[in-house]
Amino acid sequence: MTTGTESREVPGLFKQNGATIGRLLANGNLGQAEEGPEGRMHARVRIPPDELVWDPEVLVLPHGGDLELEIVNDDDNTHCALLPSNGDSQFIWLVNHSRGTASLNLDGPGYYWYGSPTGNDEGRGLTGAIVVMGEAPPEARLDRPAQPRP
Amino acid sequence: MAEATEYVDAGHAVDQVSLTTVVGTAPQVTRNVTYQRILRARSEPHNWLTYYGAYDGQRYSPLEQINTQNVRRLTPAWVFQCGSAGLQAGATTYAFEAAPVVVDGVMFVTGWDGWTWALDARTGQELWRYRHAIPFDTSLCCGNVNRGVAVANGKVFVVTQNAHVVALDAADGKRIWDKTYGDVRAGESATLAPLVIKDKVIVGSAGGEFGVRGHLDAFNLDSGEHAWRCYTVPKPGEPGSDTWPADGEAWARGGANCWITGTYDPETNLLYVGTGNPAPDFDGAVREGDNLYTDSCIAVDPDNGQIRWHYQYNPHDVWDYDSISEHILFDLDGRKAMAHFDKNGYCYILDRTNGQLIRVFPFVDRITWGDVDPHGKVTPKVYPEKEGDPVHFWPGPAGGKEWTHAAYHPKTGLLYVPVQDVGATATRRRREFKEGIPYWGAGVETDANDMAGCLSAFDPATGEEVWRWRNEVPMCASVLATGGDLVFAGEPTGEYNAFNARTGELLWQFQCGSGHHSSPTTYSVGGRQYIAVPTGWGGWIEGFAPGMLGAPHGAALFAFALPD
Repeated sequence: MTTGTESREVPGLFKQNGATIGRLLANGNLGQAEEGPEGRMHARVRIPPDELVWDPEVLVLPHGGDLELEIVNDDDNTHCALLPSNGDSQFIWLVNHSRGTASLNLDGPGYYWYGSPTGNDEGRGLTGAIVVMGEAPPEARLDRPAQPRP
Repeated sequence: MAEATEYVDAGHAVDQVSLTTVVGTAPQVTRNVTYQRILRARSEPHNWLTYYGAYDGQRYSPLEQINTQNVRRLTPAWVFQCGSAGLQAGATTYAFEAAPVVVDGVMFVTGWDGWTWALDARTGQELWRYRHAIPFDTSLCCGNVNRGVAVANGKVFVVTQNAHVVALDAADGKRIWDKTYGDVRAGESATLAPLVIKDKVIVGSAGGEFGVRGHLDAFNLDSGEHAWRCYTVPKPGEPGSDTWPADGEAWARGGANCWITGTYDPETNLLYVGTGNPAPDFDGAVREGDNLYTDSCIAVDPDNGQIRWHYQYNPHDVWDYDSISEHILFDLDGRKAMAHFDKNGYCYILDRTNGQLIRVFPFVDRITWGDVDPHGKVTPKVYPEKEGDPVHFWPGPAGGKEWTHAAYHPKTGLLYVPVQDVGATATRRRREFKEGIPYWGAGVETDANDMAGCLSAFDPATGEEVWRWRNEVPMCASVLATGGDLVFAGEPTGEYNAFNARTGELLWQFQCGSGHHSSPTTYSVGGRQYIAVPTGWGGWIEGFAPGMLGAPHGAALFAFALPD
């Protein structure tokens, strides 16, 4: 019989070479993008040493639009990032101890995955999420009374 | 104190396409593609200018270089492979469903996860790409799919799964304008190929399995300004609202989505659009009445979005029998007619000036849900009614024919239809409506072991089946008819086939390695005719061929031609 339990109670799921070979996805830190006066959003993600994880692993944007992202590789290994953006996905190579930037344009609401497409970084833990909050614009919504949501 | 890290400058992220040999530009072939030119699309048979090839939806090309005498020598000229990177929406259920549009040697085709590509139609070389970032959590009833583009005025128009319509510069794929026309939080999405009529681009919404209110929208080609919205379920007090319960909000969740491109007759100035199922799909007791304009043909004035007339195929549908399939326009004994193969297993021939029924006849062997008499009167017989009581019926919810298109050959006067002969069991399970959550009102399982299919040719003047090519599995891809007296049709098992249009004899076959669920097109460049065939088995397979759920997935576009 299978017994349900909180995943946090299982030791070693959220580290490298613990319970699993890599790190279970999408259970890292959560961070918020900041909105500048010009309307563009700004955020920073980094890869800490030997964790093969994005920090924050879940980046939250208050709404769709333009994001300026700083990406820092503090690891002792080389990684990269392939990030979603309207127009084309954005790629950056991240050698050990490097720092770069990316400009992203994303719709909201919804969430998007990004990762480090080298070796199996993505499976080991370097798969992050960008969460975009908000609603569809008023002119796009249905002409109907407000409906119950889950 | 720790020493500060001296970072290597990694620079700024670049477009993924810059890490390819893609040139990034295409000849400006669409600058002079105007409404007037699309009206006469068949007069330039080297091109496939619009979704169906022409406004009439016949999916017929006069090209005849490839014909019954030489088709056996047909061979791949090039292949475009389009794999993906990273996690994507509908990772397992995606399908390559597009109809390649070709203008003067440049092909414009869409993939399933926000891609639009411009290709050299002679070599298959990628010229530019645009990729819209699609949220991973988009509500998709049936897979991550897109059915193609429209082109005009130097632009390429495409919808996205998260309900945007985007205008791209046809020369380099850069975004010119981008409008949201659906609410993803309500469960809306978009999958169809846009249609250009006059100065507008017209699109429809998807999401009928989530209890939305269907609509068409029109935007100005150049500015992207919203011109009109046409709802396909009336509000209380509007014409047709008496076909919905007077109390409650069933109408507000009524469905009737337009998720397939319409056809257009410039003489009647009417856009003929098929509408989708009512919601919830199988629980009719919460929406008593005929539920207009679900499961209908609506004839829409493209100038203002007003519905001029309608013909409802399945009043009060409780089988998920969307009527979204194309309406093929043709002349029949001097009458302006149109043909529609409905999911319910019947083909309807209508007068397209007024929606009057000319003829109705069955096109699939097994029909048990009910019947339709020669006057179009519907008599339901088997349907989910009692809570928890399993009911089996043919055709299943994917229909005797799903969205993939039939064709009409003006020289043979025949209609060619891909047929799915598969049943299903539905068990009514009432559920509370919650925005963005699937709203079917039943548990549904399509027969996995008892399935069949065929490609059939019908005479619209009599309703008689002229020939049939039988298959062990359903036929789930659009048919293409050509002036070489050929019809082409793909199989779920990967074979792409050419048939004699007059006899149904199988003349040529090529195994593409993945099943067909797209709309192949034909064109010519430099005097050489090509057949363009997207392959990538997917979509709502559990609905139309669950016995093929384990088949190879694939993601390639084949261009076939005769040897040089």
